[in-house]
Amino acid sequence: MMAAQLGIITNNQHQVFQRAVIAGIREVVETHGLGLLIDSYADDETHPRPVTLDYHAVEGVCVIADAAPVDLLQAMVAAGKPVSLVSHRVPSLPIPTVSADNMQGVGELVQHVVEGCQRQQLVFIRGLSGQWDADGRENAFRQEIMRYNLHVPPAHMLRGDFSASMAAHSLQTLIANGARFDAVIAADYLMAIAAVETLRGAGYRVPDDVSVVGFGDAREAEAAGLTTVAADVVEQGRRAARQLLSQINGLRIRGMTVLSVRLIVRDTSLPQSVNLP
Amino acid sequence: MPSVTVYSTANKATHSQLREHNRQLLLRAIYEGVADNRAALAQETQLAKPTVSELIGELIEEGLLIEEGRGHSTREGGKRPRLLKFVPGARHVIGLSVNDDYVMGALAYLDGRIVARHYTDLDGAQGEVVVAVVCETINGLLAQLDAPLLCIGIGVSGAVDAKAGIVTYAPLLGWQQVPLAERIEAIYQTPVYLANSTALVAMAQFVYGPTDPVNCFAAVRMGSSVGVGLVVNGAIYDGGGEIGALRMASGSPVDVRPEDTGRLDTFLGWPYVRQRARELCEAYPYPNRQFNAGDPLSYLHIRYAIQNGDPAALALQDELSQHLAQVFAWIIGLLTPDHISLAGPIADLGETMLEQTVAYTRDLVWPDLIQTVTFSLTEASSLVAVGAIAQALHRELGLV
Repeated sequence: MMAAQLGIITNNQHQVFQRAVIAGIREVVETHGLGLLIDSYADDETHPRPVTLDYHAVEGVCVIADAAPVDLLQAMVAAGKPVSLVSHRVPSLPIPTVSADNMQGVGELVQHVVEGCQRQQLVFIRGLSGQWDADGRENAFRQEIMRYNLHVPPAHMLRGDFSASMAAHSLQTLIANGARFDAVIAADYLMAIAAVETLRGAGYRVPDDVSVVGFGDAREAEAAGLTTVAADVVEQGRRAARQLLSQINGLRIRGMTVLSVRLIVRDTSLPQSVNLP
Repeated sequence: MPSVTVYSTANKATHSQLREHNRQLLLRAIYEGVADNRAALAQETQLAKPTVSELIGELIEEGLLIEEGRGHSTREGGKRPRLLKFVPGARHVIGLSVNDDYVMGALAYLDGRIVARHYTDLDGAQGEVVVAVVCETINGLLAQLDAPLLCIGIGVSGAVDAKAGIVTYAPLLGWQQVPLAERIEAIYQTPVYLANSTALVAMAQFVYGPTDPVNCFAAVRMGSSVGVGLVVNGAIYDGGGEIGALRMASGSPVDVRPEDTGRLDTFLGWPYVRQRARELCEAYPYPNRQFNAGDPLSYLHIRYAIQNGDPAALALQDELSQHLAQVFAWIIGLLTPDHISLAGPIADLGETMLEQTVAYTRDLVWPDLIQTVTFSLTEASSLVAVGAIAQALHRELGLV
């Protein structure tokens, strides 16, 4: 007899963030002797429609970010199917979510850059507009620059979509326009790594000329010596799986479970001229 | 300081009370590093060695203590004692903060380390629905347990009978005489401790706060209303609470219902300050979308305008400081505390606002009274939940 299964809906199971979340979910699900059915629609260009997962055939569904359209989420709720969202939120629906603490994380990054690295001319690379984490981190950045009374021109709020290529392109354009800045804060560590490479390619010294930091941590960030706030994405997946399993076992959950993050200072932020207290 | 009172049959404690008290005594001695082996515990607590051995065996069996390594022999020689260590991860505690517009919960280990937080919006709910939202928040944290749950602490913004576990009056939640502790206890079959939110803010800062140990401490919490929590003679004063309904003037700075005119919270409560800040922000030329109509407003918007010299924002801060100084003066006049902490989102206005408030306070009280009082700002958002955790640990295990 086939083991009961949980479903995962994601736009691409091979990307770094999604892969780590799935690893965490898988870890918990396997300890419960359950199977996993992954609908990763962006992997297949001939995919007939965005999501093909038959949610009736699984015990519950984890949705990573905004991979499932609202009408599908509504249908699952109406059918009484347990659902958990990872790094996303739909306030109009009673679906719980698990997210990293974007406000705390961005707060710590800005505090480090402004107080620790004594930077004043900040550039922010946004995530994908409309995505929960992206909007949350941008909002947190806007709050923090008010705390420090910093003026960040609109041109310094760079377009990003969590991809390295978009981050590099936006930063190249800013450099080409002759903008003056001394710190880059990216909504994601992959974009921050791209920023470091772009800056060095353009002749800037990182961190002496420009401090670079990004949200989230992984082996890639560590290898690049990037200063980050560590949001343990595998743990986020584990916590989401637990949330989903608890719902399947009859617990009624609404709202948002938030996981704390912590600042990890590495090589890309502190110029040698600044001594930490 | 740990109490070293040992119950004897003479003071009429029941056998189970006596046993529980002695367990707490031993656990706290190890938790606070006063003693780390059975012989030292017997000496410290004056309990008989067989009693110590039996209770320690019980605590080890329950996973709250482990034996780890051996200590030094006594001068007389003999076996090196087995060292005992407290296990913070043996149990979880949930701390909840029931606010006017959302419920926030924190899941912590026994050393207060927070594992996860959970937020559930109230969406204007009142009465029974709020109880359901409290349960949904607890459920969100139960899903994340790594260890058995020891107990739940709950803080409510309203009048609370902490001993009876009853919310006597919380108008914005539509609660009156709600036996919340008993109801939650019945659902989750675990001990539940209830307190006023501001009393828990004082508890959190007293237990985990950065200030030096003090004997008398007051926390002024500025949220949707105004509250004062107290630690008097080193112990939490359960009767602390909301003072927002006190009348302090014949008018109010914003349009309010006639029956609310002159109340303290119409001067200092965030819903009223926000109303004034919105008008201010709409007039203030924020660069780079720091403020858009419809954005969630915060004290940081006011701070930004102040830092850039906006006269209306400066006047608002000055006014807030004057009203706050009145509250500080009442507290100093009544208690002359060692320390007053201003807690809540208003801390985002920064040190300048606190300094201004203290300066106004000096004008309102005798110089001798304020001389020894120190002041601080605390902006931590989880203070009520952290205080609920501290209180639950104190009540259930005798720790903190």
